[in-house]
Amino acid sequence: MKNILIAAALLLPLAAQAADKQLLERGKYLARAADCVACHSVEGGAEYAGGLPLESPFGTIYGTNITPDKQYGIGEYSADDFYRAVAEGERRDGSKLYPAMPYTSYHLLKREDSDAIYAYLMRLEPIAKPSPQTSLSFPFNVRFGLGFWNMLYKNRVQLLPAEGKSETWQRGQYLVEALGHCGECHTPRNALGALQQDQRLQGGVLLGYEAPSLLAEDLAERGWSTDDLATFLKHGISAQGSMFNEMYPVLHHSTQYLPLDDHQAMATYLLGDQPPAPRKVSAVAFEQLDDSAQQGRQHYLNLCAGCHGVAGEGVPHVAVAMDGNTTLRLNEARNLLRVIDDGIKEQQFTGFERMQPMPGFSDKLDDGQMRDLLHYLRQTWGGQNAELSPQQVSQLRSEKGH
Amino acid sequence: MSTPELSRRAFLQGSVIAGIGISFAPLGSKAFAALFEERVTAMPQPWYNASGKAVARIDGVSKACGAKVFARDIRAKDMPGWPQQQGHALLLKVTRTEQLYQGFDLSVLPAELQPQRVVTASDLVKDGISFPDGHNLDPLLPEGQVPMFIGHPVALLIWHDFERYRQAKNILKFNDKVIRYGEQAPAFQSDPYGSFRFVRVGGSTPFEPDTFSSLKDSMLFPLIHNRKPAWGEGKVSGDLTQQGLYHAEQMLQQLQTPPDDWLVFDERFTTQSIEPAALEADNGNGWFDVASGTLHFVVATQCPFEVAEQTAHMLAPSRFGVKKLSMHPGYTVGYGSKDNNIHVFYAALAALYGSGVPVRLANDRYEQFQSGIKRHPFDMHYQLAVNKQDHSFQIFRAHMDVDGGGRANYSSSVAAVGATAAQSIYYLPRSDLAATAYYSRGVEAGSMRGYGTLQTMAATEMMVDEVAERLNLDAIALRKKNVFQSGMKNTQGAIPAGALRLDEILDKAAQHEIWKNRVERKQRFDAEDPDNLYGVGFAICQKDFGTGSEAPMASLEFSADGRVSLRQIAIDMGTGMATSQALLVADYLGQPADEIKTGETEWSELALTTSGNPYMISQAEQDAALRNPRWVGKLASPSSATNSSYYTGHSTREAARILFIHGLWPAALAIWGRGEHGGLANPYVVRRENAHWVEGKLTADGMPPIPFKLLAHKAHELGLVTGISVHGFNRWSWAEGEFEINGQRERVPLDALAVKYGDGAAAGQKAQMSRNGFHLLDRVSIKYPVTQLNNAMVTYYSPVATLVEVKVNKGNGEARVINHHSWLECGRVIVEELVLGQLEGGIAMGIGHALLEEMPLYEGGPGDGTWNFNRYQLPRAKDCAVWSQSAEILPPLSPSDPAKGIAEVVMIPVVGAIVNAVAHATGKRLRDLPLTPARIKEALHG
Amino acid sequence: MAKRLLSMIINSQAVGPLEVADDLMMIDFLHEYLNLTGSRLGCGQGVCHACVAILDKPDGTSEEVRTCITGAHFFDGKRIRTIEGHAKRDAQGEVSQLNPIQQKFVDQFAFQCSYCTPGYVNAATVLVEKLQRQPVKRSELEGEIEDALGKHICRCTGYVRYYNAARDVVESLGLVKEG
Repeated sequence: MKNILIAAALLLPLAAQAADKQLLERGKYLARAADCVACHSVEGGAEYAGGLPLESPFGTIYGTNITPDKQYGIGEYSADDFYRAVAEGERRDGSKLYPAMPYTSYHLLKREDSDAIYAYLMRLEPIAKPSPQTSLSFPFNVRFGLGFWNMLYKNRVQLLPAEGKSETWQRGQYLVEALGHCGECHTPRNALGALQQDQRLQGGVLLGYEAPSLLAEDLAERGWSTDDLATFLKHGISAQGSMFNEMYPVLHHSTQYLPLDDHQAMATYLLGDQPPAPRKVSAVAFEQLDDSAQQGRQHYLNLCAGCHGVAGEGVPHVAVAMDGNTTLRLNEARNLLRVIDDGIKEQQFTGFERMQPMPGFSDKLDDGQMRDLLHYLRQTWGGQNAELSPQQVSQLRSEKGH
Repeated sequence: MSTPELSRRAFLQGSVIAGIGISFAPLGSKAFAALFEERVTAMPQPWYNASGKAVARIDGVSKACGAKVFARDIRAKDMPGWPQQQGHALLLKVTRTEQLYQGFDLSVLPAELQPQRVVTASDLVKDGISFPDGHNLDPLLPEGQVPMFIGHPVALLIWHDFERYRQAKNILKFNDKVIRYGEQAPAFQSDPYGSFRFVRVGGSTPFEPDTFSSLKDSMLFPLIHNRKPAWGEGKVSGDLTQQGLYHAEQMLQQLQTPPDDWLVFDERFTTQSIEPAALEADNGNGWFDVASGTLHFVVATQCPFEVAEQTAHMLAPSRFGVKKLSMHPGYTVGYGSKDNNIHVFYAALAALYGSGVPVRLANDRYEQFQSGIKRHPFDMHYQLAVNKQDHSFQIFRAHMDVDGGGRANYSSSVAAVGATAAQSIYYLPRSDLAATAYYSRGVEAGSMRGYGTLQTMAATEMMVDEVAERLNLDAIALRKKNVFQSGMKNTQGAIPAGALRLDEILDKAAQHEIWKNRVERKQRFDAEDPDNLYGVGFAICQKDFGTGSEAPMASLEFSADGRVSLRQIAIDMGTGMATSQALLVADYLGQPADEIKTGETEWSELALTTSGNPYMISQAEQDAALRNPRWVGKLASPSSATNSSYYTGHSTREAARILFIHGLWPAALAIWGRGEHGGLANPYVVRRENAHWVEGKLTADGMPPIPFKLLAHKAHELGLVTGISVHGFNRWSWAEGEFEINGQRERVPLDALAVKYGDGAAAGQKAQMSRNGFHLLDRVSIKYPVTQLNNAMVTYYSPVATLVEVKVNKGNGEARVINHHSWLECGRVIVEELVLGQLEGGIAMGIGHALLEEMPLYEGGPGDGTWNFNRYQLPRAKDCAVWSQSAEILPPLSPSDPAKGIAEVVMIPVVGAIVNAVAHATGKRLRDLPLTPARIKEALHG
Repeated sequence: MAKRLLSMIINSQAVGPLEVADDLMMIDFLHEYLNLTGSRLGCGQGVCHACVAILDKPDGTSEEVRTCITGAHFFDGKRIRTIEGHAKRDAQGEVSQLNPIQQKFVDQFAFQCSYCTPGYVNAATVLVEKLQRQPVKRSELEGEIEDALGKHICRCTGYVRYYNAARDVVESLGLVKEG
């Protein structure tokens, strides 16, 4: 039997070899677009070898080793097994995957795309690294219960109708909804952790940070144009600011490797073939700010202006501008407060772009000072005049990010 | 209490250049402190112990207290006699080169923030100022011209106070509305800065005379055609150049159609643009006192003498009426980037145009990236023919292109030095090395630690390692097979100085546990740590120290109460030379100098003069010039090229030696010979060569030990030589002069000498001390190194080898150095902590060069003024295996080994070793630096 | 741009009230107003840490603060120490005694050009004071030093002697416990 197989392999015609190469290229590209590596690797670890802890309200779920190692990885999986795992959330042994694996989005993956990713993964170097065991608190540690959960919620990601939409839009839809599974973070979840699909892409909160609404009118309200959004996806930085917290790994592992027209497609899908005009917000003069915001200015000068500029102009390649920044324009002050308290770690963007860490100021501002600073930032550059109550501020501060 | 006026006058005498009197009072010096009418701050603790070992740097306390030791620390109010007000300036620069420059528009600044003075190219013309040679091509770009390079300055803007400067700068920074660009224009072009070729065909053995070489015959220079070197045809019986080319053609032919038993390695290596990143950015602070015509100038530079000389020449013809230049060089740091740096002249300009207000021109880090001198990127085509039977190297052909950026600076020299270093530690029977330094629109490149040899030798080490792999040989064994031995000739045909102990180092490395067991270690570590790949790499280099035209100067004297003071022309840029030079005095005086002044350029007692360029002067011109007893080949060396231990040390030691022979020894004999019939010395044979200092006391042949202070007192009493100023010249060997010193003929490796006699000297003798307190001696005879030696290019070498362990992450491709061990041979060690400090720092710099540091050369690069340490990745402690690293300094052959320079060579082997370790770890040979995670990842995964 | 009154305690001496622009960075205040130039400008952007001064907090703890990116007015009413304040000086202002870290840096040739030394002295001083409040386990000592000094850039020394000197000071002051 082996001899026949070997003989068959030796007789593989060149055309087939070229097709094979093409399949692997496509699989590599799709794996990037689906961002498998983000959850199936740990920082400092070999790619796809697993080990990443995913914090959930129910406990820690570990990303598994999906290299073709026979003992610790998916070396024994067939293409069918793989598709079932990715699209339906079911392991080879029949047990259910936790929906940290976003099969709720991946169920939209085309079978041939799943096969291409499978082919690519199976050609990687097997890494003999065991993944830590996932153990959640009862009753979430009972995997078969997921069967019922899945029946309730699983296949609820539906694609919006594509008639009359451009080819770019449709490609963008597949990239966003299926491969990119953006809705997994940017959609609110209920108490059982299920996506509320009727509010798809209207924003969610993940570990203290808001994944903002990606609806076209909300994006435009925050100053996004199609080109800027495409730039943002490709480089992680645009006039509206930079990717940070959980969005940064999306750039780092996934979107920076996609071809340019993919970013255009994704932006076109989100903003639409006829995008709404991005709203401009002009900086508001000091005299027109309320008292709290005026107080906040000195905190801005003391702690922020050294990098972000006295006039909020930022420093090119070093610190984003406040003027035009999307985070200041979010309705919720959550992300702005979090990033001021937590800071941002050092980030490598594309090419030579690299930003030093932003310090966290949780110990430098008391609640009153933080409130004043938030008012200053949001009123001056965010077009957000709603006052924050002291309770809101202390509540947000107590929800520490990770 | 003496008046400031009187004591200042005492220091204003001195040399006169181009009609401008120059005086020096370096920061931290007694002279400087005297300007303040304050006491000199003594070290509150002794810096050396009873056995003469340094226990701290002589400048340690000031530095540990953050005292104002840097020029950058100084403000007008710190300077005696200056106005209190401090002005500030900045240079406006273009950032685009493909359009004409049409002026600038400062209307972005409100009225109250406009500068008090603006200086442009037309002002320089009007006021008769031209920048010194080498820096004088449009230092400020005139309107209507296309810029020469990205970051070309167009105007100097001066404010008279800090607040307005600061606020204006905040508006002007990163503002692309200020410069007006006109239409597209053809790019600026220039011929290459230099092009050289070194061809050698050795004799039948490495010790026989060469068939052809640079030293024996000639270096080859091309014609320049279409801005590129154009080599003619070789002709075996043509002129020297044609002969050289004939041999080169023969070599190329053999490389292209090699015999069967040859392996020919043929690859390309490239290196990147590097920012020296000295933490003290370029700066100067000056005040032009119109009333007295004096320019007072606080400056950060590695070459204070040149800066003074060139500034004087620059200003003398101007309408400003500059009569005096009072220079204050600070302690500094540069790694080469503050040598031959145009910034100092802009700073002098800022002072001149200050309208009586002191003006400071100090780069922030963005500006430093934009205009600070860079390291040259090299693009190298290496071909090496190796005999597969006996593994001997046959032919090495290395042709390289060097990007010099927008101004010439030292590019020509860096290319030549890089090419002649490429042979590293190997004997090469035949070689053809060519290097051309090109103009480009990038930021100016110049002197930077390694000076071309880092780029070429690291590549050589990568090459030899890969050849070993291809031949299935142990990489150290292959090196041993081809090692350069003492007495062999280098690729220029010169014989390096002294013993070469390369094989000793190779033997030690071969026996090192990490090298011996690298295969097994890799198997073990790879299995234990599946996320990473482990690798071991080795490299060894030898690098020259000195430039082939060194001119050290020292002045040493002791007072009647035994206080020893040393003056040195050299600058301490962190190397600790102030400490080591002071310590060297003890070789002959039994105790280190009590005080040392560095950066001194008050040498009127020697009355030196020079002419011509020491590298290009003909033998006939040199012979004629030497008839003038005041003529020397070069006035003074900058502090650069690793020249402090050996060359600066030479002047210090020779000065001390003469003081011993003509001051202390006769004093000792006088003391020992006291009494009837020659006293207690008479019965014994007492010889000078048997003199020893034991714990600060002199003894010889059983004589009772005499403490230095007593000898000093006696020497003064007897009117013996108690002070001396010396000058030396080295062109790969020392000039030798004969002098009559106090009635005795001496042949010494010096070309100028002036002495002081003790307090008890006769009136007649004292009358001879008419030059700055010294008696200037005339050379009885002088023998200078022949000009042909310029073709040797290098003869003094120090070797270093480094063994490195790395881990390469499979996920992100990042290579990390987890451990390293180095071997270093530097002859005699003056202060061990200073030597090891250079090694530790050099290795860190090498790690940055190999793995981390990179910038685009042109658009998007530092010339646009937006670069800082967020994008430019300097090595941190975590990158350097801080806790685990180790090193070994080979013991000298004997106590009389010279102290060899090592400050550059220490950073080179680690680069090759890291690349070789990554190859061992991953199985991939990368040849383009730096080995970023992206490049390694691509090599791993495709 | 407005001017505001600014007062603080620097090296135990009261400074101000001075009228100072509200957007002035602390390093410019130290350099141009007080002529305290020991807190050095390396990058001006918060990366190299050559500019750090020590902020002494009311709760008795201290931290290093980057003066190049922190406004002078942040320090209004606060207590800070700069490099100029560590050594003891006699009546003439001459140094009579260095602090233990400065002394160890001098003894061990820890610096070369010394541009970054004030930052290291401050960082190591903060570390030593922290360990004086709570000694460190031997097994965690190197990690503590890395945390305290790891962000400081030095281009000359390769860090070895700074780190070893810091470790030696901590050990010689008895701030290491078993474990």
